[in-house]
Amino acid sequence: MKKLRIFALISIVFLFLPMAAAARDVAPLVTTDWLQQNLTNPRLVVLDVRKVEEYKAGHIPGAVNMFYGSWAVKRGDLLNELPANDDLFDTIGSAGIDGNSIVVIVGKNDSIGDRFDMTRVAWTLKYAGIDNVAILDGGQNKWVKDGKAVATEAVRVKAKAYRGKINRGLFVTKDYVTSRLGKAVLLDVRAPAYFAGKEKLPFVPKTGRIKGAVNLPVGQLYTPEGLYKDKAALAALATAAVGADKTKEIIAYCDTGKTCTSWAFVLADLLGYQDVKVYDGSTMEWFKDPNAPSEP
Amino acid sequence: MYLGYLIDKRLIGKDIHLAMGCASCHKGNDVAATREEAHKGLVKRPSDNIALCARCHGKIADKYSKSLHYTTYGQRHGIMKRLGAEELKRFDDKVFEQSCRSCHASCGSCHVKAPPVGGIGIGLIKGHKFIRKDEGKTCAFCHGGRVYTEYTGEYGGRADVHYQKGKMCIDCHSKEEMHGDGTRYLSKNDVKTRPACKNCHKTGRETKLTARLSHRNHEGKVSCYGCHSGGEYRNCRDCHVESHSQAQPGFALGLNPRDGKTLTTLRLIPTARDTFKAVGIKMERYDAVPNYWDTPAHNIRKRTPRTRSCDACHVEGKGFLTKEQLIKNGSKMNDKLIVKPKPLNR
Repeated sequence: MKKLRIFALISIVFLFLPMAAAARDVAPLVTTDWLQQNLTNPRLVVLDVRKVEEYKAGHIPGAVNMFYGSWAVKRGDLLNELPANDDLFDTIGSAGIDGNSIVVIVGKNDSIGDRFDMTRVAWTLKYAGIDNVAILDGGQNKWVKDGKAVATEAVRVKAKAYRGKINRGLFVTKDYVTSRLGKAVLLDVRAPAYFAGKEKLPFVPKTGRIKGAVNLPVGQLYTPEGLYKDKAALAALATAAVGADKTKEIIAYCDTGKTCTSWAFVLADLLGYQDVKVYDGSTMEWFKDPNAPSEP
Repeated sequence: MYLGYLIDKRLIGKDIHLAMGCASCHKGNDVAATREEAHKGLVKRPSDNIALCARCHGKIADKYSKSLHYTTYGQRHGIMKRLGAEELKRFDDKVFEQSCRSCHASCGSCHVKAPPVGGIGIGLIKGHKFIRKDEGKTCAFCHGGRVYTEYTGEYGGRADVHYQKGKMCIDCHSKEEMHGDGTRYLSKNDVKTRPACKNCHKTGRETKLTARLSHRNHEGKVSCYGCHSGGEYRNCRDCHVESHSQAQPGFALGLNPRDGKTLTTLRLIPTARDTFKAVGIKMERYDAVPNYWDTPAHNIRKRTPRTRSCDACHVEGKGFLTKEQLIKNGSKMNDKLIVKPKPLNR
C-alpha cells in the first residue's frame, strides 16, 4: 500500500512538472533579421495569429494564418480557456505543424495587449507538445517597419495529422492553486493598481489578489518601442520578484489567463526557470469564490 | 490631416474610374476657380443612382438593382405577414420607404466607401480605390450586429471553423448571390444561389463511422446547424423600441417555422408588438407568424456538445427551446416551435 502511494505521488509530480527544460532548436525570441534569413528552412512554420482580414492585407511570405481565437476559447463565462485536446490537435495539424516543426509566432504589436496573443499561443503549443516555439519580437509591425517583404496571397498548407503529448502541468486549476498556497510563488503580472486592489476589470468579480502573491507587471517586459528588454534586464526584474532559485515552482496569473503567459514564457523559455505554470482561470475564476483566499 | 477623405494620387492613372475625372461621377464643376463654384451640383454618393454604374457595368447593375441588397425587400417580407392590407400600405409609406430603404447598399457601399451604420463609418475603404472586395470593411458593418461578429468569434463565442480556415464571406456567398441573379426576390430564403453546407460537404463519405451514421440518421430531420452550431449566437431582445435595441447571447433548438418539421437553430427576432406604434400600426395579424426563426448560425464547429454525445440532445435535451424561455407577450405561434427530443432506443 505504501509503495502504491509513493508511486502515485511520483506520478503526480511528473504529471505536473512542466517541460521547461526540453531541448530547443530555436531561441524563444527571434528577430526579424533572423526570421528573414531562415524563411527557407523546411522545418520552419511562421504562424500568423492575427485576424484573417489582417493576414490577407499583408503577411510575412510563407506565413500560415491561424488566428488567435483558434487557440483560446470561451468556456462558460471564462475567457481564454484551452480548446478540447482533439480540437487543439486539429488546429495544430491544419496549420501544417508537427512535432518536428520550428514554429515562429507572429502577431500584431499595435498595443501592449496585442503582444499577449503571441505568448498565449506559444504556451498553448508547448502544452500540446510542440517544443520549438518562438515569438517574433515586435511582431508583424516590426517586420513591416524594417521594410521587409510582405505577401498578400493566402498560403494554403497541407494539413498534417498531429497527435502530441499533452504537458498538463503547464496550465493549472483553481484546486491546484489552492493546494499550493504558501508553497509555490504566486506571480501576479497585472498592473500595480490591480495587484494592490485599487482597480479591477469589469468582468472580474472583485478587487484584490490571490493571497501571498508577488507582483511583476507585464509593462516591465518591454522597451518603449514595444520590443522585449534584453535578457539581463529581464533576469534582474525576475530575480527581484520571484527570486533566483530556478527550481522553485512559480504559478503565474492575471485576469483571464492570457496576459500572464508573457512572463511565464520569458521565465521558462528565456531565463530557464524550470517549473513555471499558468493558472488559466486567474482572477476571473478565483474571485467568483467568496471563500478563495485573497488580499488585501 | 485626415487622409481618408483624399484620393491617393498614385491611384490616378492606375484605375480607369479615377482616370475619367472626379466630375464624371460626382458632377460639380471641375474647371471652376473657387471651391464654392466647383462644388455646385456635387453628388456625394454617385452610385446611389445605379444608372451611373450601369453606363459601363450594365448587366451587373441591372441584376443588382433587383437584388435584396439593393431592394431591401427582405426587411419588408419579414414584417408584412403581421400586417393587414391597410396596415401594409401604411407601413410601405411611413416605414419601409422612409426607414428600411435607407439601408440599401449602393455599388459604392461595397466597392469604394464603407457603409455607415448608425451614422458612423470608416470612410473610404482604400483611398478611393475601387476594390473588388474587403469583407471586413463592408459586410462587417451592415451584418456586424449579428452574423459577422458571430463568424469571427468577436461576439464572445467560438469563431466559425470556416473563418479559422481563412474563409471570408465571399468564399461561400458568391458574387452571383451578392449581385443577384436578376430575379426580384422577396426573401433571402428564395435566392437560388445562396450557399448550402452540402455544396462542399457531401455526406456518405465520412471517414469516421460515427459521423457517417449520425449524418444518415439525422438526414432530413435535423439541419446541419442543429448539431454543428458551436454555441450561443446573438439574439435580439427588442426592436428599437423607445431608445435602443438590445441583443443577448442565446441558443435554441426548435422546429423550423418554414417547414414545421426540421429541428434547427432558432434565432429570436422579436418584432415587439409596439414596434410601429408611433406610426399608427398595431400589427393586426401579429400572431400569424412566430418570433423565432430558423437561422444559419455563423459559428459552425466540427465538434460540439451535440456531436460529441447523443445524450446531449436525447437525454439531457440541452439547448432545446422551452415554454419557460419564450419571450413574454410574444406571438402565439411560438409554442408550435417547441419540440421535445426523442429518447434513444438502446
